[in-house]
This record gives sequence, structure tokens and C-alpha cells, in this order.
Amino acid sequence: MENMTPEVLIIIVTTIVAGLAIVVGTMVPTWVEGKAAEKAIEGMARQPDAAPQLRTAMLISLALLETASIYVLLIVLVLLFANPLITRFFGG
Amino acid sequence: MDVIQHKIVFTLFGILPIRDTVLYTWITMGIIIAVVLILKLLKPNLLEYILEAVISILDDAMDVDNLHPYIPLLGSLMIFTLFANLISIVPGMKSPTADINTTIGLALIIVFSVHVYGMIKKGVWSYLKEFASPVFMLPVELIGQFSRTLSLSMRLFGNILSGDLIVAIVFSIVPYFLPIALTAITMVSGVLQAFVLTTLAALFISSAVEINEEDQRIKAENAEKRRLRKLSKMSEKGNN
Repeated sequence: MENMTPEVLIIIVTTIVAGLAIVVGTMVPTWVEGKAAEKAIEGMARQPDAAPQLRTAMLISLALLETASIYVLLIVLVLLFANPLITRFFGG
Repeated sequence: MDVIQHKIVFTLFGILPIRDTVLYTWITMGIIIAVVLILKLLKPNLLEYILEAVISILDDAMDVDNLHPYIPLLGSLMIFTLFANLISIVPGMKSPTADINTTIGLALIIVFSVHVYGMIKKGVWSYLKEFASPVFMLPVELIGQFSRTLSLSMRLFGNILSGDLIVAIVFSIVPYFLPIALTAITMVSGVLQAFVLTTLAALFISSAVEINEEDQRIKAENAEKRRLRKLSKMSEKGNN
């Protein structure tokens, strides 16, 4: 800990932030997706005639909600593998 | 990581560098052509059935009178995306859609073709006028177009890349049996993403070509009023 350069500090902070971001960024979309699927399945059970339309709408909305967590994953990947801060402050 | 980096495989004619994504795209195209030719020779009924399935998916998503002009674009988009997503289950291959350049290209094709279809259907001026129907909405609409491109490309890229990455990570830890389950999840996600991309493109196109009935009615009423005014003027002239 004594000979900690700023570069190492940035890497440590980035790793912690990436871990936190992936936890929060997957937890919330999964929760909301669960609510959406719950409502859709309730509707399917109540009206089996409308099941195909409900299934299509549910799949599309689930994929759209999934996009939020995919964005978080992309940002985490950028932070871990192509961190812009290090190249910006220390020139690679 | 081999999944993320894209290397230049070989150079064409000494000047054109070819990256591995392009190579895998060509392989995907070759596989699609080969599958279609083989099915056409051996099982024409199956090919017809697949085409009917694609058309019925598009018919569910779109709310237009005539589906014919949109089938070539959307159908080929769906089939190409499906094969490109699923090709990474072959060992040694990478999905072309796990590269951001491919997905941005697909998203740009979709967004520009939406406008072209809208202009063909409604006429250039009346289509462009809709973007600024209240004038202050113009920046919002332009930002909407940009973010639509970005979200279409990022969704496909992120889903396919994350699937491939998770399979690669698990494979480096547990090489036996466990990657099979994750590969199955990746396949489901790939099929779903191809379906979602096509459905969203169909929704965008059908919202661009749909004719606003209220506008149409107001325009017809105005034309009627103008005609009546002209008639009354003419009759006044005749009386004088």
C-alpha cells in the first residue's frame, strides 16, 4: 500500500466500480423484467385466446428491458479492458 | 481476449486489409446460400414453409395494407441476423454480429430504409414536413433518429458479445459439459435477438408509412371548403 502509484489506484477504483455497476445494473432490470413477465403470464392465464399476441409483446418488451443491463455490461467491459482514464492521464 | 479483439487476417490485393469479422460474414453468406440451394433441390416444401413463417412474423408485426415491398429487406435481415448470431456455436467461429461495425451497419440500413419507404409512400415533402409539425419538435425527432440507430446496434452487439464472452470465460474455467448449457442459452438469445431486430425494424417502417387519418381528413375538408368558395365566387361572377 505504501508505493501505490496513481495508475494502480485508478485500476483498483475502476474494478470496484465495475463490480458495483454490474450488480446494480443487472438487479434492477431483472426485477422489472420479472414484473413484466408476471403480468403477461397472468394475462395469458386469464385469456388463453390472446396468448400469441401477449407472448410476442412480452418477448419484445423483455428484449427491450434487457437492453439496459446490456448497456451496463458494455460500460463495464470498456472500464475493465479498454479503460480510457489510464490512456488519458498516463499515455498508455 | 480473443473474443473482443478483431485481428486482420489477410490483405486483399496488397492494399485491402480484411478483418476476421468480414471473413466470418462471408462464411455466413456462403452457408446461407448453400442451405437455400440444398433445400431448393431436395426439399422445396420446407423452404416454402420457412418463407411462410418469416412472412407471418412480419405480418403480425406490421400494420400495412400491402406487405410486398418490405419482405425482401426484412426477411433477408432476419435470416442473415439469425445465421450470424448462431454461427458462433461452431467451434473456432465468431459471430459477425459480435463486432460493433456489423451491427451499426445493419442499424444504419434499417434507419435509412425507414425514411426511404416513408418518402416513397407519402412523397418527399409531406414526409419531411411531419418531422417539424410543431417546429420545436424537430430537434427531438432528430435526437430520436440518432438514438434509435444507437440502441438498435448496441442491443444486438451487446447481447451477442455477452453470450460469446460468457461461454468463453466458462470454457476457460470448466472446459467440460458446463459450456453446453450456456451455449444453449446463447442460442435462445441469438434467435430472440434476430426476432426482436426484425420486429423493431418492421414497427419503425410501419409507423413511417402509416398515413395519419386525422391529417387526411383535415386536408380533405380544406380542399372541399376551397372548392365551395371557388364555386360561390364563380356563381357571383355569373350573376354579375
